[in-house]
Amino acid sequence: MSFRAHIVVILLTCGALAFILRLVRGQRLKAKYSLLWLSVGGMMLMLAVVPGLFDSIARRLGVVYQPTLFLVLAVGFLLLVVVHFSFELSRMENRIRSLAEEVTFLRHDLDEERRRDAPE
Amino acid sequence: MPTAPRTLAVIPAFNESAALPSTIADLRAVQPGIDIVVVDDGSLDDTAEVAASLGVDVLRLPFNLGIGGALRCGFRFAVQQGYERALQFDADGQHLASEVDTLLAPLAEGADMVIGVRFGDGNDYDVGRSRRLAMGVLRTIARWLTGRRLADTSSGFRAFSRPMLERFAQEYPLEYMDSVEALVQAVREGYDVREVPVQMRQRSAGQASNRRFRLVYHYVRLLVVLGSSRRPRSAR
Repeated sequence: MSFRAHIVVILLTCGALAFILRLVRGQRLKAKYSLLWLSVGGMMLMLAVVPGLFDSIARRLGVVYQPTLFLVLAVGFLLLVVVHFSFELSRMENRIRSLAEEVTFLRHDLDEERRRDAPE
Repeated sequence: MPTAPRTLAVIPAFNESAALPSTIADLRAVQPGIDIVVVDDGSLDDTAEVAASLGVDVLRLPFNLGIGGALRCGFRFAVQQGYERALQFDADGQHLASEVDTLLAPLAEGADMVIGVRFGDGNDYDVGRSRRLAMGVLRTIARWLTGRRLADTSSGFRAFSRPMLERFAQEYPLEYMDSVEALVQAVREGYDVREVPVQMRQRSAGQASNRRFRLVYHYVRLLVVLGSSRRPRSAR
Protein backbone atom coordinates (compact mmCIF):
# COMPACT_ATOMS: atom_id res chain seq x y z
CA MET A 1 0.00 0.00 0.00
CA SER A 2 1.43 3.37 -0.96
CA PHE A 3 1.93 5.98 1.71
CA ARG A 4 -0.73 8.20 0.20
CA ALA A 5 -3.32 5.41 0.12
CA HIS A 6 -2.48 4.63 3.71
CA ILE A 7 -3.17 8.21 4.75
CA VAL A 8 -6.47 8.24 2.84
CA VAL A 9 -7.62 5.03 4.52
CA ILE A 10 -6.73 6.37 7.96
CA LEU A 11 -8.57 9.62 7.28
CA LEU A 12 -11.66 7.80 6.04
CA THR A 13 -11.68 5.57 9.10
CA CYS A 14 -11.25 8.58 11.38
CA GLY A 15 -14.18 10.19 9.58
CA ALA A 16 -16.33 7.14 10.19
CA LEU A 17 -15.32 7.00 13.81
CA ALA A 18 -16.02 10.71 14.26
CA PHE A 19 -19.46 10.19 12.77
CA ILE A 20 -20.19 7.38 15.21
CA LEU A 21 -18.88 9.47 18.10
CA ARG A 22 -21.14 12.32 17.11
CA LEU A 23 -24.15 10.04 17.08
CA VAL A 24 -23.19 8.61 20.46
CA ARG A 25 -22.62 12.00 22.06
CA GLY A 26 -25.88 13.32 20.70
CA GLN A 27 -27.46 10.27 22.35
CA ARG A 28 -29.01 9.30 19.10
CA LEU A 29 -27.81 5.73 19.48
CA LYS A 30 -28.77 3.56 22.37
CA ALA A 31 -25.87 2.56 24.61
CA LYS A 32 -25.68 -1.01 23.34
CA TYR A 33 -25.44 0.10 19.74
CA SER A 34 -22.95 2.86 20.44
CA LEU A 35 -20.72 0.33 22.18
CA LEU A 36 -21.02 -2.00 19.22
CA TRP A 37 -20.19 0.59 16.59
CA LEU A 38 -17.48 2.22 18.64
CA SER A 39 -15.66 -1.07 18.98
CA VAL A 40 -16.10 -1.70 15.26
CA GLY A 41 -14.73 1.76 14.53
CA GLY A 42 -11.84 1.21 16.91
CA MET A 43 -10.93 -2.04 15.23
CA MET A 44 -11.13 -0.46 11.81
CA LEU A 45 -8.85 2.34 12.90
CA MET A 46 -6.34 -0.12 14.30
CA LEU A 47 -6.29 -2.06 11.05
CA ALA A 48 -5.95 1.13 9.06
CA VAL A 49 -3.01 2.41 11.08
CA VAL A 50 -1.19 -0.93 11.16
CA PRO A 51 -1.96 -2.53 7.79
CA GLY A 52 0.45 -5.41 8.44
CA LEU A 53 -1.57 -6.51 11.47
CA PHE A 54 -4.44 -8.03 9.58
CA ASP A 55 -2.18 -9.86 7.15
CA SER A 56 -0.21 -11.47 9.94
CA ILE A 57 -3.40 -12.58 11.70
CA ALA A 58 -4.65 -14.10 8.45
CA ARG A 59 -1.35 -15.84 7.85
CA ARG A 60 -1.39 -17.28 11.32
CA LEU A 61 -4.89 -18.65 10.71
CA GLY A 62 -3.67 -20.25 7.53
CA VAL A 63 -5.65 -18.06 5.14
CA VAL A 64 -3.89 -17.97 1.78
CA TYR A 65 -5.48 -14.86 0.33
CA GLN A 66 -5.83 -12.44 3.22
CA PRO A 67 -8.64 -10.19 1.93
CA THR A 68 -11.04 -13.16 2.02
CA LEU A 69 -10.68 -13.32 5.78
CA PHE A 70 -11.70 -9.70 6.01
CA LEU A 71 -14.68 -10.23 3.72
CA VAL A 72 -15.84 -13.34 5.53
CA LEU A 73 -15.63 -11.61 8.90
CA ALA A 74 -17.33 -8.48 7.60
CA VAL A 75 -20.19 -10.36 5.94
CA GLY A 76 -20.64 -12.60 8.96
CA PHE A 77 -20.75 -9.66 11.31
CA LEU A 78 -23.18 -7.69 9.16
CA LEU A 79 -25.43 -10.72 8.84
CA LEU A 80 -25.60 -11.06 12.60
CA VAL A 81 -26.40 -7.37 12.94
CA VAL A 82 -29.21 -7.60 10.39
CA VAL A 83 -30.71 -10.66 12.07
CA HIS A 84 -30.59 -8.85 15.36
CA PHE A 85 -32.34 -5.86 13.82
CA SER A 86 -35.08 -8.09 12.40
CA PHE A 87 -35.58 -9.48 15.85
CA GLU A 88 -35.75 -6.02 17.38
CA LEU A 89 -38.13 -4.85 14.66
CA SER A 90 -40.50 -7.72 15.31
CA ARG A 91 -40.50 -6.95 18.98
CA MET A 92 -41.14 -3.29 18.32
CA GLU A 93 -43.96 -4.08 15.95
CA ASN A 94 -45.61 -6.15 18.66
CA ARG A 95 -45.26 -3.31 21.10
CA ILE A 96 -46.65 -0.80 18.65
CA ARG A 97 -49.64 -3.04 18.06
CA SER A 98 -50.26 -3.32 21.76
CA LEU A 99 -49.98 0.44 22.09
CA ALA A 100 -52.40 0.93 19.22
CA GLU A 101 -54.89 -1.33 20.99
CA GLU A 102 -54.36 0.49 24.25
CA VAL A 103 -54.99 3.85 22.58
CA THR A 104 -58.09 2.40 20.99
CA PHE A 105 -59.51 1.27 24.31
CA LEU A 106 -58.72 4.58 25.96
CA ARG A 107 -60.40 6.48 23.16
CA HIS A 108 -63.42 4.22 23.44
CA ASP A 109 -63.70 4.88 27.17
CA LEU A 110 -63.20 8.58 26.67
CA ASP A 111 -65.88 8.73 23.98
CA GLU A 112 -68.24 6.87 26.26
CA GLU A 113 -67.56 9.19 29.18
CA ARG A 114 -68.13 12.26 27.03
CA ARG A 115 -71.37 10.86 25.73
CA ARG A 116 -72.54 10.18 29.25
CA ASP A 117 -71.66 13.68 30.39
CA ALA A 118 -73.19 15.42 27.42
CA PRO A 119 -76.64 16.86 28.12
CA GLU A 120 -79.26 15.02 26.13
CA MET B 1 -81.84 -10.67 35.18
CA PRO B 2 -81.33 -11.92 31.66
CA THR B 3 -80.59 -15.63 31.54
CA ALA B 4 -79.03 -15.68 28.07
CA PRO B 5 -75.24 -15.35 28.13
CA ARG B 6 -73.98 -11.91 27.19
CA THR B 7 -72.88 -12.01 23.59
CA LEU B 8 -70.83 -9.55 21.59
CA ALA B 9 -70.71 -9.33 17.82
CA VAL B 10 -67.30 -8.16 16.68
CA ILE B 11 -67.44 -6.48 13.29
CA PRO B 12 -64.05 -5.63 11.84
CA ALA B 13 -64.45 -2.85 9.28
CA PHE B 14 -62.05 -1.28 6.86
CA ASN B 15 -63.65 1.34 4.62
CA GLU B 16 -67.09 -0.18 5.02
CA SER B 17 -69.22 2.89 5.68
CA ALA B 18 -71.46 2.00 2.73
CA ALA B 19 -72.33 -1.53 3.83
CA LEU B 20 -72.26 -0.99 7.59
CA PRO B 21 -75.72 0.56 8.22
CA SER B 22 -77.68 -2.27 6.64
CA THR B 23 -75.46 -4.95 8.19
CA ILE B 24 -76.00 -3.51 11.66
CA ALA B 25 -79.69 -2.92 11.09
CA ASP B 26 -80.11 -6.57 10.08
CA LEU B 27 -78.20 -7.84 13.03
CA ARG B 28 -80.17 -5.69 15.43
CA ALA B 29 -83.53 -6.61 13.98
CA VAL B 30 -82.87 -10.35 14.16
CA GLN B 31 -80.68 -10.46 17.26
CA PRO B 32 -81.75 -7.64 19.56
CA GLY B 33 -80.05 -9.29 22.53
CA ILE B 34 -76.58 -9.16 21.05
CA ASP B 35 -74.28 -6.21 21.63
CA ILE B 36 -72.27 -4.95 18.71
CA VAL B 37 -68.80 -3.52 18.49
CA VAL B 38 -67.35 -2.20 15.24
CA VAL B 39 -63.58 -2.28 15.04
CA ASP B 40 -62.58 0.45 12.63
CA ASP B 41 -59.27 -0.73 11.27
CA GLY B 42 -57.83 2.64 10.36
CA SER B 43 -60.41 3.32 7.65
CA LEU B 44 -59.89 6.23 5.32
CA ASP B 45 -63.60 6.85 4.97
CA ASP B 46 -66.08 7.71 7.71
CA THR B 47 -66.64 4.15 8.92
CA ALA B 48 -66.12 5.11 12.56
CA GLU B 49 -68.52 8.06 12.40
CA VAL B 50 -71.17 5.98 10.65
CA ALA B 51 -70.83 3.24 13.25
CA ALA B 52 -70.97 5.74 16.12
CA SER B 53 -74.06 7.38 14.68
CA LEU B 54 -75.73 3.97 14.68
CA GLY B 55 -75.21 3.83 18.42
CA VAL B 56 -72.96 0.78 18.56
CA ASP B 57 -69.66 0.55 20.38
CA VAL B 58 -66.77 1.67 18.20
CA LEU B 59 -63.14 0.78 18.58
CA ARG B 60 -61.11 3.12 16.45
CA LEU B 61 -57.64 1.82 15.68
CA PRO B 62 -55.16 4.64 15.06
CA PHE B 63 -53.87 2.94 11.91
CA ASN B 64 -54.53 -0.14 9.86
CA LEU B 65 -53.52 -3.31 11.66
CA GLY B 66 -55.04 -5.79 9.24
CA ILE B 67 -57.96 -8.06 9.88
CA GLY B 68 -56.12 -10.19 12.44
CA GLY B 69 -55.12 -7.13 14.45
CA ALA B 70 -58.64 -5.74 14.34
CA LEU B 71 -60.04 -9.05 15.52
CA ARG B 72 -57.61 -9.39 18.39
CA CYS B 73 -58.55 -5.90 19.49
CA GLY B 74 -62.22 -6.88 19.37
CA PHE B 75 -61.59 -10.08 21.33
CA ARG B 76 -59.67 -8.15 23.96
CA PHE B 77 -62.56 -5.77 24.25
CA ALA B 78 -64.98 -8.68 24.67
CA VAL B 79 -62.84 -10.14 27.43
CA GLN B 80 -62.42 -6.79 29.18
CA GLN B 81 -66.13 -6.13 29.12
CA GLY B 82 -66.90 -9.53 30.53
CA TYR B 83 -68.75 -11.06 27.61
CA GLU B 84 -69.30 -14.79 27.86
CA ARG B 85 -69.17 -15.35 24.13
CA ALA B 86 -68.54 -13.46 20.96
CA LEU B 87 -69.00 -13.85 17.28
CA GLN B 88 -67.13 -12.56 14.33
CA PHE B 89 -69.32 -10.96 11.72
CA ASP B 90 -68.41 -9.39 8.38
CA ALA B 91 -69.26 -5.76 7.78
CA ASP B 92 -69.92 -6.25 4.09
CA GLY B 93 -73.19 -8.12 4.48
CA GLN B 94 -71.82 -11.50 3.50
CA HIS B 95 -73.01 -13.10 6.73
CA LEU B 96 -76.65 -13.43 7.56
CA ALA B 97 -78.04 -12.31 10.89
CA SER B 98 -80.63 -15.08 10.61
CA GLU B 99 -77.85 -17.67 10.85
CA VAL B 100 -76.39 -16.32 14.08
CA ASP B 101 -78.49 -18.65 16.25
CA THR B 102 -77.24 -21.64 14.29
CA LEU B 103 -73.70 -20.44 14.85
CA LEU B 104 -74.13 -19.85 18.57
CA ALA B 105 -75.99 -23.07 19.35
CA PRO B 106 -72.94 -25.41 19.69
CA LEU B 107 -71.39 -23.04 22.26
CA ALA B 108 -74.08 -24.07 24.72
CA GLU B 109 -72.97 -27.67 24.24
CA GLY B 110 -69.41 -26.86 25.19
CA ALA B 111 -67.84 -25.91 21.86
CA ASP B 112 -65.07 -23.30 22.04
CA MET B 113 -65.07 -22.20 18.45
CA VAL B 114 -67.82 -22.60 15.90
CA ILE B 115 -67.25 -21.96 12.23
CA GLY B 116 -70.09 -21.22 9.89
CA VAL B 117 -69.54 -23.21 6.72
CA ARG B 118 -71.25 -22.40 3.48
CA PHE B 119 -74.01 -24.73 2.44
CA GLY B 120 -73.54 -27.01 -0.53
CA ASP B 121 -70.76 -27.02 -3.04
CA GLY B 122 -70.78 -23.38 -3.87
CA ASN B 123 -73.46 -23.29 -6.53
CA ASP B 124 -75.29 -20.41 -4.98
CA TYR B 125 -72.04 -19.00 -3.72
CA ASP B 126 -69.76 -18.61 -6.67
CA VAL B 127 -66.19 -18.20 -5.51
CA GLY B 128 -64.28 -18.46 -8.77
CA ARG B 129 -61.71 -20.98 -9.83
CA SER B 130 -58.47 -19.66 -8.33
CA ARG B 131 -60.14 -18.95 -5.05
CA ARG B 132 -61.67 -22.39 -5.00
CA LEU B 133 -58.26 -23.89 -5.62
CA ALA B 134 -56.77 -21.76 -2.87
CA MET B 135 -59.42 -22.89 -0.45
CA GLY B 136 -58.73 -26.50 -1.40
CA VAL B 137 -55.06 -26.12 -0.66
CA LEU B 138 -55.78 -24.50 2.68
CA ARG B 139 -58.15 -27.30 3.55
CA THR B 140 -55.47 -29.85 2.79
CA ILE B 141 -52.88 -28.04 4.85
CA ALA B 142 -55.25 -27.68 7.75
CA ARG B 143 -56.20 -31.33 7.61
CA TRP B 144 -52.62 -32.35 7.54
CA LEU B 145 -51.77 -30.15 10.50
CA THR B 146 -54.76 -30.85 12.66
CA GLY B 147 -55.64 -34.38 11.63
CA ARG B 148 -59.19 -33.22 11.08
CA ARG B 149 -61.32 -32.84 8.02
CA LEU B 150 -62.52 -29.25 8.01
CA ALA B 151 -64.88 -28.08 5.34
CA ASP B 152 -64.04 -24.40 5.26
CA THR B 153 -60.90 -23.07 6.86
CA SER B 154 -61.22 -19.49 5.71
CA SER B 155 -64.78 -18.68 6.70
CA GLY B 156 -64.92 -15.54 8.80
CA PHE B 157 -68.30 -16.36 10.29
CA ARG B 158 -67.28 -17.69 13.68
CA ALA B 159 -68.37 -17.83 17.28
CA PHE B 160 -66.16 -18.16 20.33
CA SER B 161 -66.55 -19.31 23.92
CA ARG B 162 -65.12 -17.29 26.79
CA PRO B 163 -62.01 -19.50 27.19
CA MET B 164 -61.34 -19.25 23.46
CA LEU B 165 -61.74 -15.48 23.61
CA GLU B 166 -59.30 -15.23 26.47
CA ARG B 167 -56.82 -17.27 24.51
CA PHE B 168 -57.23 -15.19 21.36
CA ALA B 169 -57.10 -11.95 23.31
CA GLN B 170 -53.66 -13.05 24.34
CA GLU B 171 -52.47 -14.36 21.03
CA TYR B 172 -54.16 -14.17 17.70
CA PRO B 173 -52.46 -14.53 14.32
CA LEU B 174 -52.04 -11.01 13.08
CA GLU B 175 -51.42 -11.37 9.40
CA TYR B 176 -53.52 -12.03 6.36
CA MET B 177 -55.07 -15.54 6.38
CA ASP B 178 -55.38 -15.26 10.13
CA SER B 179 -58.51 -17.40 9.95
CA VAL B 180 -56.65 -20.53 8.94
CA GLU B 181 -53.89 -19.93 11.40
CA ALA B 182 -56.32 -19.30 14.24
CA LEU B 183 -58.21 -22.45 13.39
CA VAL B 184 -55.10 -24.61 13.40
CA GLN B 185 -53.92 -22.97 16.61
CA ALA B 186 -57.21 -23.68 18.35
CA VAL B 187 -57.39 -27.31 17.27
CA ARG B 188 -53.79 -27.98 18.18
CA GLU B 189 -54.17 -26.46 21.60
CA GLY B 190 -57.04 -28.78 22.30
CA TYR B 191 -59.99 -26.42 22.03
CA ASP B 192 -63.30 -27.86 20.89
CA VAL B 193 -63.70 -26.60 17.32
CA ARG B 194 -66.86 -27.36 15.41
CA GLU B 195 -68.37 -26.50 12.08
CA VAL B 196 -71.99 -25.81 11.31
CA PRO B 197 -73.52 -25.37 7.85
CA VAL B 198 -74.95 -21.90 7.25
CA GLN B 199 -76.19 -19.88 4.35
CA MET B 200 -74.22 -16.92 3.12
CA ARG B 201 -74.82 -14.08 0.77
CA GLN B 202 -72.65 -13.02 -2.13
CA ARG B 203 -70.27 -10.28 -1.18
CA SER B 204 -72.24 -7.12 -1.65
CA ALA B 205 -69.47 -4.56 -1.58
CA GLY B 206 -65.75 -4.82 -1.26
CA GLN B 207 -63.59 -7.41 -2.93
CA ALA B 208 -61.92 -10.59 -1.88
CA SER B 209 -58.24 -10.01 -1.51
CA ASN B 210 -56.92 -12.40 -4.08
CA ARG B 211 -54.14 -10.70 -5.96
CA ARG B 212 -52.00 -13.55 -7.05
CA PHE B 213 -48.49 -12.74 -5.91
CA ARG B 214 -49.70 -11.60 -2.56
CA LEU B 215 -51.61 -14.80 -2.25
CA VAL B 216 -48.63 -16.95 -3.12
CA TYR B 217 -46.49 -15.06 -0.65
CA HIS B 218 -49.06 -15.58 2.08
CA TYR B 219 -49.33 -19.28 1.31
CA VAL B 220 -45.62 -19.72 1.73
CA ARG B 221 -45.67 -17.63 4.88
CA LEU B 222 -48.54 -19.64 6.26
CA LEU B 223 -46.79 -22.91 5.51
CA VAL B 224 -43.70 -21.75 7.33
CA VAL B 225 -45.62 -20.40 10.28
CA LEU B 226 -47.84 -23.43 10.65
CA GLY B 227 -45.03 -25.87 9.99
CA SER B 228 -42.86 -24.30 12.64
CA SER B 229 -45.56 -23.65 15.18
CA ARG B 230 -45.10 -25.16 18.58
CA ARG B 231 -46.63 -28.43 19.39
CA PRO B 232 -49.39 -28.03 21.93
CA ARG B 233 -47.87 -28.07 25.36
CA SER B 234 -50.92 -29.61 26.89
CA ALA B 235 -54.50 -30.07 25.90
CA ARG B 236 -55.71 -27.16 27.96
